[in-house]
Amino acid sequence: MKKNHPIRRFVLASAATVSGIVLLLALKPASDPAAASAQAGAAPQQTAAAQGAPQGGTAQQSGTGTVLGDVVQTEYGPVQVQLTMSGGKITKADAVQAPKGGTSDQKTALSVPKLNQEAVTAQSADIDAVSGATYTSGGYKKSLQSALDKAKATGGTSGSSGSSGKAGTSSAAPAAQARVVTGTVSDTQYGPVQVRLTVEGKKITKAEAVQAPKGGVSDQKTALAVPKLNQEAVAAGSAQIDTVSGATYTSEGYKKSLQSALDKAGV
Amino acid sequence: MSTIAGGRAARRQTMRRIRPRRSPAVPLLIAVWAGAAAVLWLWWNNTPSIADNNSRILNAGRITGLLAGYLMALVVLQMARVPALERRVGSDRVARWHAMTGRYTICLVLAHLFLTMWGYALQSGKGLGQIVQQTIDSVNQLPDMGKAAIGTGLLVLIGFVSVGWLRRLIPYDTWYHVHLLTYAAVFLTFWHQLSTGNDFAVEPVAKTVWYGLYGSVTALVIWYRILSPIRLNLKHRMRVQAVIEETPGIVSVLISGRKLHRMGAEAGQFFRWRFLAPGMRFSSHPYSLSAAPRPNMLRITVKAIGDHSAALRDLEPGTRVWAEGPYGALTAGKRSRGKVLLVAGGVGITPMRALFETLPGASGDLTLLYRANTTQDLALWDELAAISKERGARLMYAVNSPEGERPDISADSLRRKLPDIDHHDVFMCGPPGFAQEVYAALRGAGVPARRIHHESFEM
Repeated sequence: MKKNHPIRRFVLASAATVSGIVLLLALKPASDPAAASAQAGAAPQQTAAAQGAPQGGTAQQSGTGTVLGDVVQTEYGPVQVQLTMSGGKITKADAVQAPKGGTSDQKTALSVPKLNQEAVTAQSADIDAVSGATYTSGGYKKSLQSALDKAKATGGTSGSSGSSGKAGTSSAAPAAQARVVTGTVSDTQYGPVQVRLTVEGKKITKAEAVQAPKGGVSDQKTALAVPKLNQEAVAAGSAQIDTVSGATYTSEGYKKSLQSALDKAGV
Repeated sequence: MSTIAGGRAARRQTMRRIRPRRSPAVPLLIAVWAGAAAVLWLWWNNTPSIADNNSRILNAGRITGLLAGYLMALVVLQMARVPALERRVGSDRVARWHAMTGRYTICLVLAHLFLTMWGYALQSGKGLGQIVQQTIDSVNQLPDMGKAAIGTGLLVLIGFVSVGWLRRLIPYDTWYHVHLLTYAAVFLTFWHQLSTGNDFAVEPVAKTVWYGLYGSVTALVIWYRILSPIRLNLKHRMRVQAVIEETPGIVSVLISGRKLHRMGAEAGQFFRWRFLAPGMRFSSHPYSLSAAPRPNMLRITVKAIGDHSAALRDLEPGTRVWAEGPYGALTAGKRSRGKVLLVAGGVGITPMRALFETLPGASGDLTLLYRANTTQDLALWDELAAISKERGARLMYAVNSPEGERPDISADSLRRKLPDIDHHDVFMCGPPGFAQEVYAALRGAGVPARRIHHESFEM
């Protein structure tokens, strides 16, 4: 038989809900600690790679090579476009990252090949969105435009390949001797893994994961495993590294991508 | 010596017999809060970081959406007529929970809609002003959003017709049938949660849990709202046997059937009755049993207030009756003491009359206080007098004076009549104003709140 105070109850419930949500949002860090460690340097590198790193080692024929676009966040996940340029023309377009999980898988499978084709045909970011995958299409176009901008910014001359143009971390060795090799994308149960190596001569001086599983517990696992794997790869100089316990799939994917990078580098 | 020992043993036995049945309300509420915490944890775990205002808005949209999805299942569960809720917590309390959760959920749904569309609009370079355009785009482009839009529209309609003043304006039947659309609304809005919800895409376990939550609620609704009543009515085959006018405006309906004592109904409980007569078959109404159930006979006593109760007077004997129940927690199980005071206001006498007849108790343990406007309005008085005589129970009435003055029901007058009133359990049934007044008087006379048992269908 408590007295009913509808207005008081309404005000209390609203205030409690709003402050609870604001508190939850405020408690979240502004940047992703896991992604930061997994992709530390990866993002700057992508930019660096795209900008074609004037001092980057094995510069190829003018306007030839691969350019990575910016990572564009969409409602369903990040989209990132990689272009293969030859003589200032797009010869190939790929989505290095695209939304995954749930219906996103189908949409990505449906839309990305179409978008890739359109990009090559149009030779610009002026391409049609794939119906039913508007957000992915939008993200793709943005990333494509950024890749084209980058290719243009370097005069379309020294477009860097995936295996060249590592700029930032060349403090240790003369730039001319350092090469950057990116391994193939190795799909694991939890997401793609892709390793990028900085190689001097026959030695690995740096190993990074350009892509690693994200979302949910994967974030923690990636944060835990990737730095260890990077270290092991540098120490071992080969793909003969131990898996990190608790992150077996990521480790296996890492080793595969690492092996492919080593194969490319001819180590 | 032996008499004292005997007395003590007997008292101990009495105490054991009448230990009150605990209401599961507290553990249920704890479970509900734990579920809400788990839903928030799901969001927390799947959200690595929040970089800017845009993602703050989108994440607020996700939190409100997740909570709304969770509460939506509970809103339906609260009306699934689960016996543990209806008979242990009490139908009235569960109905109040339902109304409260429902209102809150609709607010969350609207907040979720607004925040998510605002966030998407910002993301695609639109301003807050183009939020309607963004909503149309999203409905066109995202999976299951068409369904969700229709479902949300229905929810808003249902919420609107349940607003206090509007609800009093429209007929009960209309309101009830609009309310049934909730099932359609919940079904329609369910799918977009899974197909567009971030947390369900990356966390397959969450998806399974969500299916489990909605699946079990659906199963409970089908079982307790559809299958159980069908089984009950096929088994007991109830019909109207006679309609008796008790006092002007109050009628008793006698209902015959098979093995009615097997329905598990207790004194103080009610059924939702649907009389299969022209004009009455599409709505069911809750009426309390006004006598303990007998193997071949049930009785309800009803005051002609609404259209439905007025039409009861003209029921033909032999009319088929469809009943759902028994519901209600105002039973002997609530009792914690040997001494019981029953307080009835007007037609609230019905469950009290059944309890007066059946509550176990020695001579002098039971007291019934019956309030009515005039002595002519004291329905069932002859029966009550007979029971009181037979059981040695006290029977009192309070009516207005011939000048229309209201009788004095206060802490003092109650204590004067029953000096040990603070050692009583009190069962109470009557119109809201009366109940409020008596409750205050009882508390003033020293009866603890936990021993005042009352059912109120005021929202």
